[in-house]
Amino acid sequence: MERKLIFDKDRGCRNSSYITPSLDIKPEEIFGGDMLREDLSLPDISESEVVRHYMQLARLNFSVDTNFYPLGSCTMKYNPKINEYLSGLEGFSRIHPLQREDDLQGALELMYEFQNLLCALTGMKAFAFQPSSGAQGELTGILMVRSFHEINGSKKSKVIVPDSAHGTNPATATMCGYETVVIESRDGLVDIHQLEKSFDEDVAALMLTNPNTLGLFEKDILKISRIVHERGGLLYYDGANFNPLMGIAKPALMGFDIIHLNLHKTFSTPHGCGGPGAGIVGAVEPLEEFLPLPRIKKRNKTFYLDYGSEKSLGSPRTFFGNFDVLVKAYAYILRLGREGLKRAAQNSVLNANYIKKKLEKYYQPAYSKQCMHEVVFSCSEQKKRGASALDIAKRLIDYRIHPPTMYFPLIVKEALMVEPTETENKEMLDYFIRAMIKIDEDTEKNPQKLKSSPHKAAVGRVDETRAARMPVLAHTGCGKHKKSQKT
Amino acid sequence: MPYIPNSPSQIKEMLRACGVKSPADFYSDLPEEIRIKDDLDIPAGISEQQLKRKLLALSDKNRPLDKFNSFLGAGCYDHYIPAALSFIISQPEFSTAYTPYQAECSQGALQAIYEYQSYICRLTGMDVSNASLLDGGSALAEAVLMSARLNRRNTVIISEALNPEYKEVLKTYLKGHDLKTYEVQVSGEGKTDLSMFLNACDKDTSCLVFQSPNFFGVVENLIEIKKLFKDESVLKIMVTNPLSLAVFKEPSSFGFDIVCGDGQPLGGGLRLGGACFGFLAAKKEYLRQVPGRIVGKTLDSHGNVAYCLTLQAREQHIRREKARSNICSNQSLNALASAVYLSLLGRKGLREVALTSMSNAHYLRQGLSRIRGIKLTFSPLIFNEFVWFTDNAPQVLNELYKKGIIAGYYIGKHFNKYNGGVLSCCTEKKTKEEINDFINSLAEVLHGEKAYIR
Repeated sequence: MERKLIFDKDRGCRNSSYITPSLDIKPEEIFGGDMLREDLSLPDISESEVVRHYMQLARLNFSVDTNFYPLGSCTMKYNPKINEYLSGLEGFSRIHPLQREDDLQGALELMYEFQNLLCALTGMKAFAFQPSSGAQGELTGILMVRSFHEINGSKKSKVIVPDSAHGTNPATATMCGYETVVIESRDGLVDIHQLEKSFDEDVAALMLTNPNTLGLFEKDILKISRIVHERGGLLYYDGANFNPLMGIAKPALMGFDIIHLNLHKTFSTPHGCGGPGAGIVGAVEPLEEFLPLPRIKKRNKTFYLDYGSEKSLGSPRTFFGNFDVLVKAYAYILRLGREGLKRAAQNSVLNANYIKKKLEKYYQPAYSKQCMHEVVFSCSEQKKRGASALDIAKRLIDYRIHPPTMYFPLIVKEALMVEPTETENKEMLDYFIRAMIKIDEDTEKNPQKLKSSPHKAAVGRVDETRAARMPVLAHTGCGKHKKSQKT
Repeated sequence: MPYIPNSPSQIKEMLRACGVKSPADFYSDLPEEIRIKDDLDIPAGISEQQLKRKLLALSDKNRPLDKFNSFLGAGCYDHYIPAALSFIISQPEFSTAYTPYQAECSQGALQAIYEYQSYICRLTGMDVSNASLLDGGSALAEAVLMSARLNRRNTVIISEALNPEYKEVLKTYLKGHDLKTYEVQVSGEGKTDLSMFLNACDKDTSCLVFQSPNFFGVVENLIEIKKLFKDESVLKIMVTNPLSLAVFKEPSSFGFDIVCGDGQPLGGGLRLGGACFGFLAAKKEYLRQVPGRIVGKTLDSHGNVAYCLTLQAREQHIRREKARSNICSNQSLNALASAVYLSLLGRKGLREVALTSMSNAHYLRQGLSRIRGIKLTFSPLIFNEFVWFTDNAPQVLNELYKKGIIAGYYIGKHFNKYNGGVLSCCTEKKTKEEINDFINSLAEVLHGEKAYIR
């Protein structure tokens, strides 16, 4: 049976009475009819029906709270419930960004203290909180790189990214007006010789994720940093994979000049089907003044907004960024403290290595070395037997497990990238391992079963090709005015 | 340790299985120089009870809007939010899921986003909407970049009456591009000067950016805009408050190509401006240049209707440096909240919210017009906010603040020439008593008595 859209549940006129209307003006007397809408085609449904509609939709979704979600590079760890409660406190949720500074002292203090904790963790000099996603953090960081070079009178045109980089890195370089130069990896790491060869005076920065997307630590990071800096470039840290290094190593000590951290990954804030997140940006001392404005400063015991820096790149986002996300991440750091953060990092690495060890007889790890917080397998052997990484991923859904990241990084054939995080217990990891082993057996015994999976999900295998070839992107028509659907 | 479920003995067993003695062994590749020794300046962990006490104390240092009689708007609006909304979006399957890459186990999120896109199309009259962007400012920036990709021209003409926060974001986003921005001033009425706008257009013009209702609250002359700007190769972008579209005609009927803005007024809450999201909708011929996630309707292997992320060839994870944008995470849960808000309020409810806000704003404006010394030089064609002028505006605001009234936003901060201007907003939450309190208090501040009020 086809699930109904909310628009198909329209029951005609209804008074929701959520508010007390006061309608003493007639818009047509002010504006004239040509400006005014005649019909607003929204469905009218009672509250109980709306709630049921969304409850039914919710139950079709896997989530961290209901399922193991080892989606590589996304760090789908448990989202502590106290943080939801705290961010909802009236003092945090009912404040307006244009209130006076003295009415917002708690919020400013929170951001100021949060900044101090992050500086301690990363070795950066300061942070800006406006960037609201990892990609916007990258945009902010690379625009800072651009401003830095411009002020120093050196116009540069290229940004280097490794071939294992997240897609956002090259896309960001383009958005900042740079040409992307891709360097090939060697044994899963930055190839130092390639880097030396490619890093000419036209290169503005190297964007690097460490540990990289193969789950490997760039052990030559100090050499890499030296090459970049000797040639007048800057080193940018994509913090998507910071989780295994929390409390263990500092990006500043590795030589990174500008970094972003994904609060919705490392710092446990929930991802809400794709956001809100936060991709806050930190910088070491000489680059601090390029950070977005306003910055939060402290004078005596008072916190204030500083719009002072003329070198600042401006702001990529209105107001202060996703403030509720900041509250949750701040609470997370306070709760765990220095030992807890380190323990979380270590356990994320342990969980990934445990999976790697238990599965390496069945699935070929992309690299044999120990991994950090995530492990990448290649399903090339399984593919030869008739079931691809996609089929394996889809079959996992029948085991109520969210599939790992597929076909990424691009340099691994038939890749499955597994990031269990530290918040999963051994029983769940063992269950995942057993499921993967059973699926591996099925690639031989019954590949058809995998190819036609999932069998127990809300829907069968979804035809994504059809969706792209014949785009239907919105429901048109409403209730009795129903029209046919258009693209 | 909080949030680590494995027991010490399980951890030991797992370490043994991995062939290492301690977790430190996994980090053997890390150079000594980069390691944190005993010098990590972060306090020890605390209990949940202690955490709650600490953050409660911090939150108490803020003064929430409810402690005031507030008329603050200027891009962040205090509307009533039905209790069912936060209940729905707090469902863990919505709040703790990732981007719905895996369609088969994400149908709930996908259908909800598809419905969101449909809602945005209905409000704006556009054919396609993406699944949300980060905020109104970056949505505008993305719309401008989209225009430049479409017609390969390099000049952007914006109205002075565009929200200054958006101007700042736009300026930031354009830093990496060879695009020039011209700002066209407003007339004495607080409306964009359309003849100057027309004069500014030439063969290099990529797009025109209007905001209506504009930053000063004034509804632009959209009928005239449609008449004057007929060149189809120049894209017309409208920034709008989506709530206003419950009253005003859909922007598509005025010839706009892209409609964008911030969705915060649709059930978004305040959260220091951090509960917003960007929406972006366009005509279908521009679909391939639309940035961000898009959900489409399709079929599953049994021939049943299903939803999935689609047209991903536009996106960074497929196209990398050739992508339309670098956008990855968006503001899905906030967008979903707006869809829930629209579902709860429905046709009649949304109109009531919009019209009540509008009635209240007009009532306040009328009240202020009767106070000597208050100048209302801008157009009376307003939606939910408007600018009033007075001498010594900052001091007047200060006096009102002492009476518990946040009268609005001082626009002199961004517009030197309007150094006496205050932008005041009303939502449906304002009562007549509160509005009268503002009017009377302002008269009292200026004249020391209430003689000028009915």
